Amino acid sequence: MLDSFIFLGLNWQAWITIISIFSILIVMAKTHVPPEIAFLGSLTVLVTAGVVTEAEGMAGFGSEPVVVHAAFFVVMAGLMQTGVLYWLTKNLLGTPKDYKEAIVKLMVPIASLSAFLNAVNVVALFIDVVKIWARQIKTVPSRLLVPLSYAATLGGSCTLIGNSSNLVISGLYADQTGYSLDFFAPLVPGLFCTTVGIILVLLFRNMIPCRETPESSFESTSDYTVELLVPTENNAVGLTVDEAGLRNVHGGSLIEIVRFDKEIITPVPSDEFILGGDRLIFAGQINEILELKRTHGLVAADHHVYSINEIDNDRKLRTAYVGFGSDLINSRMSENGFEHHTDMVLVAVARQGRRVEGQPREVKLEAGDTLLLECPPKDDREIETLTKGSLTFFDSHFVPELGPKTVVASIILVVMFLLSTFHILPLMATTMLAAGAMLIFKCCRMTKVTRYIEWELLLILGATVVFSTAITKTGIADIIANNVLSICGHNPYIIMIVMCLLASLVSEFVSDVGASGVFFPIVYREAIALGCDPMPFVISLMLAVTTSFASPIGSSTHMLIYGPGGFRFTDFLRIGIWMHIALLAANIFIVNLVYPL
Amino acid sequence: MVIDIQEQNGGMVAIFEGRLDTPAAVKAQQEVAPLMENADKQITLDCTKLEYISSSGLRLFLALRKETATKGGKVIITNINDDIKKVFQMTGFFNLFEIRND
Repeated sequence: MLDSFIFLGLNWQAWITIISIFSILIVMAKTHVPPEIAFLGSLTVLVTAGVVTEAEGMAGFGSEPVVVHAAFFVVMAGLMQTGVLYWLTKNLLGTPKDYKEAIVKLMVPIASLSAFLNAVNVVALFIDVVKIWARQIKTVPSRLLVPLSYAATLGGSCTLIGNSSNLVISGLYADQTGYSLDFFAPLVPGLFCTTVGIILVLLFRNMIPCRETPESSFESTSDYTVELLVPTENNAVGLTVDEAGLRNVHGGSLIEIVRFDKEIITPVPSDEFILGGDRLIFAGQINEILELKRTHGLVAADHHVYSINEIDNDRKLRTAYVGFGSDLINSRMSENGFEHHTDMVLVAVARQGRRVEGQPREVKLEAGDTLLLECPPKDDREIETLTKGSLTFFDSHFVPELGPKTVVASIILVVMFLLSTFHILPLMATTMLAAGAMLIFKCCRMTKVTRYIEWELLLILGATVVFSTAITKTGIADIIANNVLSICGHNPYIIMIVMCLLASLVSEFVSDVGASGVFFPIVYREAIALGCDPMPFVISLMLAVTTSFASPIGSSTHMLIYGPGGFRFTDFLRIGIWMHIALLAANIFIVNLVYPL
Repeated sequence: MVIDIQEQNGGMVAIFEGRLDTPAAVKAQQEVAPLMENADKQITLDCTKLEYISSSGLRLFLALRKETATKGGKVIITNINDDIKKVFQMTGFFNLFEIRND
């Protein structure tokens, strides 16, 4: 009696589980602790407290969603390296005449593609293509990146492998029932929602925000940090910054001087002398500050320069970004030897469209950083080959060679789908087989293949599965299920609506994967308690967690376009809320039509 | 860091001894005040015993140079060691000062 009063009918294990889940939410929202660490930390609490056994705690990492994902990363690497994906990006999209047409011509093929590849991968693949498209139809990339993200996630909801959350739910379903879901189980509801989604994006297209992209912000936005060197022979040597006209320059100002002996002078007083070898750090409009090279004889260089004549006049500026898995991450340009190796010089760094404080060459680089580099007058492709594995240029010319391996990789992909679609082998086995085939047929290099695997995502997926186990085991699922039933009555339609609404709301704040792990056991218990077939509940849950488009956190594809599109956090809200509501309605409608209760 | 300032042949001579690093340069700024006052004369900076010079030290030399330029004097630097020579080469001091080796 006392127990039920104090603990609301839940045992202490249940409370530890609940507190752990909420701690993850708080840690993710309030700190910079990486999500995978937050998840693993809470998992440790569950195992230590004995809420789940050691075997249960580790079972998540060997579960279907984790293994399928890991294998699929390798398959994707093969498709990427053999040029299959390149071929698709070049040939899948037509040439649009206007914005409206562009939306349709973008969303339909992207949705179809991401049903068979992973939605997140598809978005990553098409970001650059979409940027080029945007230029063609004279709009900003952000206006096309949002439709891209919607199309990929909606298309991904059509099959089990399209969205990570589908895999999680199907894995949990198989654990509960012993039956695996059909590869195309969510196809019809998914297709319907995708169609509704495309129509809605067309209708609401004016709500899609216009944002400048990070690389164009190098040209237009003020407030970037640019580093230039004073050659020994420069006329300004021995003068004060004011006398040399280098303090307040057109379009910016001198914020810092770094001397040859690493002494830093900031703020820079007007009577500060200029020495040869000084690195002058300016903040302001990049283009205008770079004019100082011409007007004042300053240079961009990684080593000391005596005379401006040592610098090739034909050097040109190019923007590139630090991709995930780049070997430049966590290093500084002044230390990593990259500039020396490639003959390039880092001029400026931008992070999420904003300037990074301090000396660009001393900035610890992060994935997603946009770099402005002065490149040697070499062939663009030569430069890209040289920087492979470190940087991706926005105006990339790199073309993977198409050849027999392209065909082999495509065949592997098709066979993988056929095997799992016709239940010849389970999904886990087919993806592992496909990954193995990619390696055996040398469609991707064995040595660097682990780089393509996003271990962080796998850790989160594994932990999510364990949380789902804990929620079931501790009785939280039963209690919440029973409480929802007692509040909402025993009408299965109302229960389904309420649960989808809750799941999709929660998924706006946590990832779709997290929400599916938490809600699956509850929804499943409710279906059983109601004496209904769990199938419609499960499918509606799959769609509900993926249609959370109002925040960048809820949607993994939104997260991906967030940086490249130059978006702000609230940008997705305006169109996202309407999409959320409309897609939820479409979801309930179609699921009940296809899988009647 | 020791700076010994003397009057010689109608000009000023400052003998630097030790390391003119950043903290020393801050202190030295006050010590060279007599040189600033005599910026209309020839000022010789004797670096025979100067072991090291930081950018702040160079700044001090430049300030003297500026002062003499306005008042009609002149700065001569003598007997720098090889390390300081390298620093002078990089910073462009050979173009700014008369540098002698006795």
